[in-house]
Amino acid sequence: MLRKSMMIHPADSVAMVLEDSRKGDVIRTERGDITLLEDVAFAHKVAVISLRADDPVIKYQEEIGYMLCDAPAGTWIHVHNMGCGRGKLTGGDMR
Amino acid sequence: MNFMGYRRPDGRVGVRNYLAILPSVFCANKTAERIASQVPGAVALRHPVGCAQVGLDLELTARTLCAMGCHPNVGAALVVGLGCERFKPQELYDAIAASGKPVEMVVIQQEGGTTAAIRRGAELAAGLMKLVQAQHREPCPLSALMIGTKCGGTDATSGLAANPAVGSMVDRLIAEGGSAILSELNELLGTEKMLARRAVSPEVAVKICDAVYEIEDLLQSSLDFSLDSRRNELISPGNFDGGVSSVVEKSLGGVHKSGTSPIVDVLPYATAPETGKHGLFLMDYESHDGEVVTGEIGCGAQLVVFTTGRGNPTGHPLAPVIKVTGNSKTYLRMQENFDFDASGIISAGERVEDKGAELLELVLRVAGGALTAAEKIGGDELFCIGRRHGYHRKDPETLRACHGN
Repeated sequence: MLRKSMMIHPADSVAMVLEDSRKGDVIRTERGDITLLEDVAFAHKVAVISLRADDPVIKYQEEIGYMLCDAPAGTWIHVHNMGCGRGKLTGGDMR
Repeated sequence: MNFMGYRRPDGRVGVRNYLAILPSVFCANKTAERIASQVPGAVALRHPVGCAQVGLDLELTARTLCAMGCHPNVGAALVVGLGCERFKPQELYDAIAASGKPVEMVVIQQEGGTTAAIRRGAELAAGLMKLVQAQHREPCPLSALMIGTKCGGTDATSGLAANPAVGSMVDRLIAEGGSAILSELNELLGTEKMLARRAVSPEVAVKICDAVYEIEDLLQSSLDFSLDSRRNELISPGNFDGGVSSVVEKSLGGVHKSGTSPIVDVLPYATAPETGKHGLFLMDYESHDGEVVTGEIGCGAQLVVFTTGRGNPTGHPLAPVIKVTGNSKTYLRMQENFDFDASGIISAGERVEDKGAELLELVLRVAGGALTAAEKIGGDELFCIGRRHGYHRKDPETLRACHGN
């Protein structure tokens, strides 16, 4: 079924679902209709484009982290497949 | 626009009128509480510090306790000391007396023990309460109002609804001449360059970046990867459950609380802006809810606006804390803990600007005496004094170079 969602900026690579959603549900986004590949809870994020390992994850038009693995559009994006080095690394790499 | 406040001898304006019973060291906590219990309306400020501290850590304690005693929400204060503490009760008494407000002091070792100190303290407090009760509200301009901002129990709705509504309110308040404070710098990681672009001068821009980098360096030096990985997470399990996946994602949502106004200056912990400066300030501190709220109140905020998607019951003994959520489920589940529901921005297409205007009206009603949810349930957990243990500041040039500045 069609679920409510929101992209904060059209250039973002993720959208937020605005209701608890199930695998196979569809969200309508600026990047086209996306079929969810897994269950996604309220306010969690879904890739709206195909992402590759190391790609930046963009929300609020800014990089919120980077992909730890490849993920097709419709994948739930969270700490299991996205990393962020701010506050954790030392030296020159502050990604 | 005006609000009804208490004008103090030093020219500052309070939104509450407390008799504060202030222990200068934790050893005096119970004595202070027993005194407060004998004087209806008196508030004891229990805290765990004042012993065996050195350097900046002791300075933060001294500065914060002075700031609480001198705060415009306090009509009069009673200092309760033990007698041998490093931050002497006399220093606290003198700082409060210099603000021109009524103040008294009782010292347990001088009085000859707990019972005698409580008896003497209760007499002094009863006398101070008469002076507090003689004070009245009068119309005051918004330029006398400063609001602290804080997120606690963030979820992904905070950055979409609650924080933007607060930011819109902050913009309106500042347009009317008022002031606001943004802080919790370790939850601004990743936003420092956009904040620096809002600085009123290149010098303030450098202060903003340096403050964030120093906090980030402090955070890194606190992590211990020999421990369970759950001990090294930068954001909470509740944040993760609520759909926030990284500290930068949290930051990008949290920074909305500050609206769009220029950043006038970076304030040290619990330190008032230079006289005559108004507008938006950044307070240099990390993000413990209580320590940030207390530090912002120490900077002069008379009222705090606190956003929470997960729900949060806390309050501060000296300042009203307005609870705002963007999560309609949380609002319905914990309604007694909330003052403002911004979730219509997500669910009903309500405009951020309209919610901001509505929130400013609520802020002014609370400033004028309307009780917040946290005041009604007696929340006082947010009085926590900032700490700094053995951190050696790195050269700012080195930290800037790590971030390509």
